[in-house]
Amino acid sequence: MKLYEYEGKELFRRFGIPVPEGTLVRTGEEAQRAAIRIGKEVIVKSQILAGGRGKAGGIRVAKTPEDAEKVAHDILGTELQGYKVSSLLVEEKLDITNEIYMGITVDDENGVPIAIVSAEGGVEIEEVARKNPEKIASALIDPLYGIRSYGAINLVRQIGLTREALISAGKILSQLYNLFASYDAGIVEINPLVITNEGKMIAADSRCEIDDNSLLKHPEFKDLRIQRIENPWEREGVKGGVNYVDLEGNIAVMANGAGLTMSVLDIVKAGGGDPACFLDVGGGLSRERMKNGVGLLLKRAGADQRIKVIILMVRMMISPPDAVAEGIMEAIKEVKVETPIIAVIRGREPYEKRVRELLKNVEKITLFSSVEEGIREAIEIARDRNGYIC
Amino acid sequence: MAIFVDKDTNVLVQGITGRLGALQTELMLDYGTRIVAGVTPGKGGETQFDIPVYDSIQEAMSKHRIDASVIYVPAPFVRDAAFEAIDAGIKFMVIITDWVPLHSEMKIKAYAKSKGTRYIGPNTPGIMIPGQTSLGMISPSAVMPGGVAVVSRSGTLTDEVASHLSEQGIGQSVVVGLGGDPIVGSRMIDVLKLLKEDVQTKGVVIVGEIGGTMEEEVARYLDAQFDKPVVAFVAGRTAPRGKVMGHAGAIIMGERGMAESKINAFKSAGVPVAKTFWEIPLLVKR
Repeated sequence: MKLYEYEGKELFRRFGIPVPEGTLVRTGEEAQRAAIRIGKEVIVKSQILAGGRGKAGGIRVAKTPEDAEKVAHDILGTELQGYKVSSLLVEEKLDITNEIYMGITVDDENGVPIAIVSAEGGVEIEEVARKNPEKIASALIDPLYGIRSYGAINLVRQIGLTREALISAGKILSQLYNLFASYDAGIVEINPLVITNEGKMIAADSRCEIDDNSLLKHPEFKDLRIQRIENPWEREGVKGGVNYVDLEGNIAVMANGAGLTMSVLDIVKAGGGDPACFLDVGGGLSRERMKNGVGLLLKRAGADQRIKVIILMVRMMISPPDAVAEGIMEAIKEVKVETPIIAVIRGREPYEKRVRELLKNVEKITLFSSVEEGIREAIEIARDRNGYIC
Repeated sequence: MAIFVDKDTNVLVQGITGRLGALQTELMLDYGTRIVAGVTPGKGGETQFDIPVYDSIQEAMSKHRIDASVIYVPAPFVRDAAFEAIDAGIKFMVIITDWVPLHSEMKIKAYAKSKGTRYIGPNTPGIMIPGQTSLGMISPSAVMPGGVAVVSRSGTLTDEVASHLSEQGIGQSVVVGLGGDPIVGSRMIDVLKLLKEDVQTKGVVIVGEIGGTMEEEVARYLDAQFDKPVVAFVAGRTAPRGKVMGHAGAIIMGERGMAESKINAFKSAGVPVAKTFWEIPLLVKR
């Protein structure tokens, strides 16, 4: 789960990482008051869960409190990078002499944390890696021990820091790691980490993502995940325990297991079909999850006349067959739409046969045991109803 | 031995009395897996399908020779369960459990490596040596003994690909799911190094998917050091960017992680890439 900049900075503060003086506001008037309290030039920053805010006009400087009010008024309620701006962070404007980058994430090949620092901050680290890789230094961290303070110092030394800056950056990196570990983060970034005219080192921005599998351990964020999903169908998916991604086509696709679902989408597309969504109902199936998944697809089909057919691909491994079939039937009974369903049921014998047996008299469902034939049929149906000549 | 396990492997089940653990233990026994003991703290002295249950692995190890453990405990307890198995000296684990916290996965990986324990998972369907043994949930009706190894990152997709091979009369030397999480115990390259030496394995089907860099890594290895024929399949060709990519481990790795990059990596290593399930057996036969 992604955190907003202001939430990340609150965590920074708790871990002793210096951040600019600032206030979260939701109206122009609040912005004005915040600027008065700060008592100098401020910077007004849109709080959305996407990068590139500056380029998109979501970060502005305000010289006076009146300016702050006006700027806040202009930005609030607008849409930026696909997100509606409903809150702003009003912060003191820093006098900057230098900007660097600091981040911790997981190294894919080694499966351990990796600390990355760059002498160039304020731009995307991927871009620096492409254009000036010599400005970047990184080090793997032993997750069983955590970061060593001398290791942090050695790393930041490699981007040319000396004296006070070296000590400050080393401390900040150690604290950033502690935050990363304590909050089960997948990534934490300070970009830029600025050095001010007075020689202070301050985190001017924050990026934090908490591992979704660890949210139970962090009650302050646990319930926020669902609220943060903008697409209503995707939100309903998470509530129902299934993974849903909205797409644009006319064939709604559900399968069990992420790899299998992606493959069915690919095969539909390769055959000339156009998927309307990705719905992974999970590998191990329960009656409830099956019902939630099929129900979501049926509702989605009912709300979107473009959707001509639904593909259910179920690979039976260890899930109880009666529960799987009943979940499907209950959803069909509850959500009444006309859209035909192509069900491809495969997998462990005799579970597969049992599911097929239970579903064979359901009017809306056409059963297949071959993926190839099932998908071909679905593509034909979608074509027919679009008025194409087959 | 095939790879990791074979018909003589003595297996322990951690979480044998839980709903999933009990169900799968019964199915594994049906397949002939030599399950010799189970562990559930507090249920020592009971039996499950006539298999003795112990309070700890240490106690189980004092009564039985144990070569491998299958872990079914709930996600919050997986780290401890894995550490217990590693501390007891078990050399191979299968961590079936899904939704294991990221930082637990990093710790398990580091600890297992330091003690010389190998594992697959978490979030895996397990490993099956057709006709010999099964540690996990791969469907017996999907597989048949033979010479092609199936190495996959997925669960149901592993089963699906194996069944397309079997339906065309192509048997398997091993069918293994490495797990769908960003950090797994064995990466494709680790398994391919074992398959290189495995006399039973004549060829390999690699089932990759978007996210991470496993496929690019293994493609470099295949190109340089692997001489058995390989066919690949990559799921997620049409997945939208940024949606199902998982964790941001690819931060400085640019375009690596996209399906295209993986397909290109395989192709430049001379590995044909199938576009559909049914194309896989055709490419294998060729």
